[in-house]
Amino acid sequence: MLELKDLYFTVTDHESVKQRNIIDGVNFTFKKGLFYAITGPNGSGKTTLAKLIMGINEVSQGQIIFEGNDISKLTITERAKRGIAYSFQQPARFKGITFRDLLTIATGEEDEKKLLNIVSRVGICPLSFLDKEVDAKLSGGEIKKIELATTIAANPRLAIYDEPDTGIDLWTINPMVKLLKKELIEHLTTTIVVSHNRAFLEAADVIIIIDKGRFVYEGDLPKALHLLTDLSACTYRRPPEGEENAQCFR
Amino acid sequence: MLNASDKTLLKTVADLEGLPKGAYNIRKNGKLLSRQVTANINIESNADGSGIVVTIKPGTKNESVHIPVILSEAGLFDVVYNSFIIGEDADVTIIAGCGIHCGSKEQEGHAGIHEFRVGKKAKVTYVEKHYATGRGTGRRILNPTTKVFLEQGAKAEMELTQISGVDEANRLNEAELGPESLLLITERVLTDGEQKAVSTNNIVLQGEDCRANMISRSVMKGNSRQIFYATLTARNKCFGHIECDAIIMDNGSNETMPSLKAEHPDAELTHEASIGKIANDQLMKLMSLGLTYDQSVNRIIQGFLK
Ligand SMILES: Nc1ncnc2c1ncn2[C@@H]1O[C@H](COP(=O)(O)OP(=O)(O)O)[C@@H](O)[C@H]1O
Ligand SMILES: [Mg+2]
Repeated sequence: MLELKDLYFTVTDHESVKQRNIIDGVNFTFKKGLFYAITGPNGSGKTTLAKLIMGINEVSQGQIIFEGNDISKLTITERAKRGIAYSFQQPARFKGITFRDLLTIATGEEDEKKLLNIVSRVGICPLSFLDKEVDAKLSGGEIKKIELATTIAANPRLAIYDEPDTGIDLWTINPMVKLLKKELIEHLTTTIVVSHNRAFLEAADVIIIIDKGRFVYEGDLPKALHLLTDLSACTYRRPPEGEENAQCFR
Repeated sequence: MLNASDKTLLKTVADLEGLPKGAYNIRKNGKLLSRQVTANINIESNADGSGIVVTIKPGTKNESVHIPVILSEAGLFDVVYNSFIIGEDADVTIIAGCGIHCGSKEQEGHAGIHEFRVGKKAKVTYVEKHYATGRGTGRRILNPTTKVFLEQGAKAEMELTQISGVDEANRLNEAELGPESLLLITERVLTDGEQKAVSTNNIVLQGEDCRANMISRSVMKGNSRQIFYATLTARNKCFGHIECDAIIMDNGSNETMPSLKAEHPDAELTHEASIGKIANDQLMKLMSLGLTYDQSVNRIIQGFLK
């Protein structure tokens, strides 16, 4: 349903004026209704890839084919309208916009009952969250839950979650995994989760390991284990900001 | 008595569909158009006829006063001095607003000087909206002033909004806080084109344990320009905070000058100020939920000024 063809994202370093491929020639096809987990060291290009698919980053070279159409040149809005949704690793914080407002934007729904239904379907946010402002006062975990909920509410055909477990308490991780699985089964949502968390890796049909902008492994978890325990593929020299919960699968 | 244009203005500045419930005083082109008092709320013209005195009996609860002003006469500059005396323990809402309909080349304007004396433990919510419209090319000028005096334990929530169409505004807010009183001011100003707005705020925290919070949200579109001054002066053990955020669109410009003066060792004063464009991550998020770029901009501004 989603095909990445010889995909590159290239940036120019301002000081050295050298070109660097953050995404370095990726070829891969995601199949409809499967659960994918993308993992790999920090800075390997996971977020960059997700943003290329959503249209937030502009493709430097190659193509993104979604349900048979080349979407490489489409705007974010057009891709959203075609059914792609992305949960940001670092969600935006607003002023004067509530969780309810975001749900209304995502669904076009203003009816109180229907909005409450969505919140209870998502489950991980209490109903009382509805009128919370999505602002700087929210904790890291709260905003990640809201971010995930807005993605689910949009009823996407392809949902990409960028480190959804960051800041989330241990008790919520498993319900979150179950929720994404349930959405996948009920709506055949092709699901891509960027994560280092074993709960997501175990839930996935396909594990992708990315390193220096390249897919270095695509397959099941058992065969991925030796790579994940290999220090070269999974090193956290320093835990990056906001990723206190990132833990290596080893 | 109210023509179609008056009705539109009333709807915009006071959210009114016709005449309001409760006490009201409607002023049109410098003259009284209509007035109603209630058992607890009295409205009288002041001694020199330059405005009104609204007196609210102690203990009055859940009542409201509407005092809209309509200007639609070319070349008029209307100045009013209104005072509000809010009795002890009362809890009332006052809705003021000025709508200008300018159909000519001549400038039109309004300066409303509103003074509030809020009695012990009384609470007032004051909502003020300014709006100008019309095809005329005359400049529309609004110079609103509010002066607030809070007695012990009194509370005032002021919502001051300048919606659109005002070419020139000189806004002045002054307040003096008694012991244990609380003042919350939220000012929202949107300017566009060649408009200019200056807002000056002087808040004196006089009594022990009083608190003040001033929030300012500014949006500058076109080539418009806004200047914001806010000074908190603490003369006792108290708490004060200023939060001013400005979003610049197009070629707008902004100057923001929050200032804190502590004249007492137990004063706690803080401020946050920011000026910038609409944050990119906010735009990306709303677009990823299906809004277009322009819709996202509008939605973010709408929330910011909410
Ligand atoms: N627009 C950009 N310009 C320059 N460098 C970028 C840009 N986007 C990402 N990078 C760099 O690319 C690398 C990969 O980033 P990212 O995709 O966020 O990694 P992660 O796998 O941790 O999500 C990082 O070194 C980052 O600094
Ligand atoms: Mg990342």
